[in-house]
Amino acid sequence: MDELTITPGSACQGCGAALAARLAFKALGPNTIRHGIPCCPDSSTMTPRGGGGVFEGGGAALTGTWRALKAKGITDVNVVGFFGDGGTYDIGLQGISAAAERNENVWIITKDNEAYMNTGNQRSSSTPLYAMTSTTPVGSEIKGKQTGKKNIPMIFAAHHVPFVATASVGYPEDLIAKIEYGKTLHGFKMLIIQSPCPVGWRYDPAKTIEVARSAVQTGIWPLYEITDGEKFKLTYKPRELKPVTEYYKPQARFRHVTDEQLAGIQEDTTKNWEKLLKSDELGQLLV
Amino acid sequence: MSEATFDVMVGNKAAATAVKLARVEVMSAFPVTPQTTITQYLSEMVANGEIKGEFVNAEGELSTQVIVQSASRAGARTFVCTSGPGQLYMHHPMHGTSSSRLPVVMATVHRGNKSMQPDHTDLMSQTWTGWIQLYCENNQEVLDTTLMAYKLGEDKRVRLPVAIGYDGYVLSYTAEPVEVPSQKSVDDWLPPYEYESILPKDYDPATGGRGFGRGGRDPQQGWITHHEALLNALPVIKEINEDYGKVFGRKYGNGLTETYMTEDAEAVMVAMGSMAGTARAAIDNLQANGKPVGLIKLKAYQPFAVEDFQEYGKKFNAIGMIDRNVCLGHGGAGYRLIRNTLYDMDDRPKVLQFHAGLAGKEVRVGDLERVGEKILKAARGEKVSQVEWV
Repeated sequence: MDELTITPGSACQGCGAALAARLAFKALGPNTIRHGIPCCPDSSTMTPRGGGGVFEGGGAALTGTWRALKAKGITDVNVVGFFGDGGTYDIGLQGISAAAERNENVWIITKDNEAYMNTGNQRSSSTPLYAMTSTTPVGSEIKGKQTGKKNIPMIFAAHHVPFVATASVGYPEDLIAKIEYGKTLHGFKMLIIQSPCPVGWRYDPAKTIEVARSAVQTGIWPLYEITDGEKFKLTYKPRELKPVTEYYKPQARFRHVTDEQLAGIQEDTTKNWEKLLKSDELGQLLV
Repeated sequence: MSEATFDVMVGNKAAATAVKLARVEVMSAFPVTPQTTITQYLSEMVANGEIKGEFVNAEGELSTQVIVQSASRAGARTFVCTSGPGQLYMHHPMHGTSSSRLPVVMATVHRGNKSMQPDHTDLMSQTWTGWIQLYCENNQEVLDTTLMAYKLGEDKRVRLPVAIGYDGYVLSYTAEPVEVPSQKSVDDWLPPYEYESILPKDYDPATGGRGFGRGGRDPQQGWITHHEALLNALPVIKEINEDYGKVFGRKYGNGLTETYMTEDAEAVMVAMGSMAGTARAAIDNLQANGKPVGLIKLKAYQPFAVEDFQEYGKKFNAIGMIDRNVCLGHGGAGYRLIRNTLYDMDDRPKVLQFHAGLAGKEVRVGDLERVGEKILKAARGEKVSQVEWV
């Protein structure tokens, strides 16, 4: 597997997204057209890109490229969007949903760093409950984000597309395996990669992999894949989940979170994990 | 052109027929009145195998523009169409299409922003995106201009997207006889589109460049190059119009503007789109009554035919621009351009402003006769009001 991402890009020290790009494009191979949307996705990968692009137009840009190739009889190229959570969960959601519904033969690969990081850590709909961002500050009256993270993989699973999966920069083999499997499928494919951001999440840049692994090991960011909107498989199953405090405590974005709030998060996380385990046993997504 | 056939068709079918004849490879649209039936004609043509391309029924106009932009960049010949609010929603990526110098062709079936009825506010609002804008008077002109738009936009001296404007309802849903050239004659005249970047490699993201303004380059260079490209399109529009006329037997003035009964005219009115048809009837009546008023049809709004209007400025004593638009707080788009164009002349004609047909307000032949009489008065030295809402 060849390295396709020219390093260094202009990413920060310890950037999870830069690693996500490096792994993803390595697995995709050179026969790939990338559409990047401005900001972090562009600074974290220097792979050649399709050009142009507007934040709200990710799904459409991929559609246009794929349809043009199809019209010309070229069908062996990976048409890939490398987007952020803003371009996927928020401003770009409408167009990506439409591309999913049309089952365009494209990839959406999202480096999810849970806020608009390039503009200075403003909240997105991917920002988790209670997280402090520059637009969900910790004030005397309101402390951090008051609503939870949008469950985008499940929203796209409900589009009944060929492939939706989660991945983490802390588990590179799993990430690469998912891309290699997805490459064998025709139609819409989505991979959401949790990509810790030391600047926004406020932890030591040396700890990116530890933070990423801890998200998976505590059940905060479970690794799974869903094919055709129904077949479900957990791709990482610890015997026992670690307590969520192990994930929350090292990140200063959660410093204000109370023990009572953490207990609530633990309860929700356990409940969600049990549901996923059941789906995994059945091989069928329970919703 | 013995192989050409005649059909009676609405403007939207004329546009769709041209798209078929141009062998467009990727089309995208979102239905919006009064453009809607283009999407239906194209869907049928694709479903019946008459068009071998991809038609993407997208979820909104913004996506349609992004789809054709990236398809054009990937080397496909493309078409997109819209009206009024859809045109406004599409605005953001229109900048990327033109600054990437991609020859997308778009039909804008005019619909006002303050009503369902036609005015030119939708496309005029896109002026600063730097697309070529051509306005059509009748359904034949819609078909012919769409074919010419591909030749023009894809010409290496131009490489710009082209918007074709025609009035909703008045043309979109009104049937007229249209001569349809044969597929073979169009194939012979319009070669397949092949993507070739005309931007310097370092500037063009599609060839691995990082865009204008990166790496210490003049950040204004992108604007300069784009502006010059529009100005350079002026002679190419004329050339393609002449060539089309030779091959297909129809041309539209010099491609930029057209004169009607101006030989002995002292004054002229300037009209765009379907209103030029109404104006022709008004001119006939005026001249039959001994009133020497002629018509200038303004077809190319962007880029603007500065040289043509400087010639008209020498010939006529008064020019009255009928704008089916208003740039609020400034005035009509055509009026301001004409006044600007004539400023450097030592002996300038009077230039009057008429706003007419906004929000689809009915404009009758009699209304334009009155307009003509007023311009003639101005030409003969009578004092008249500068601006009038017809």
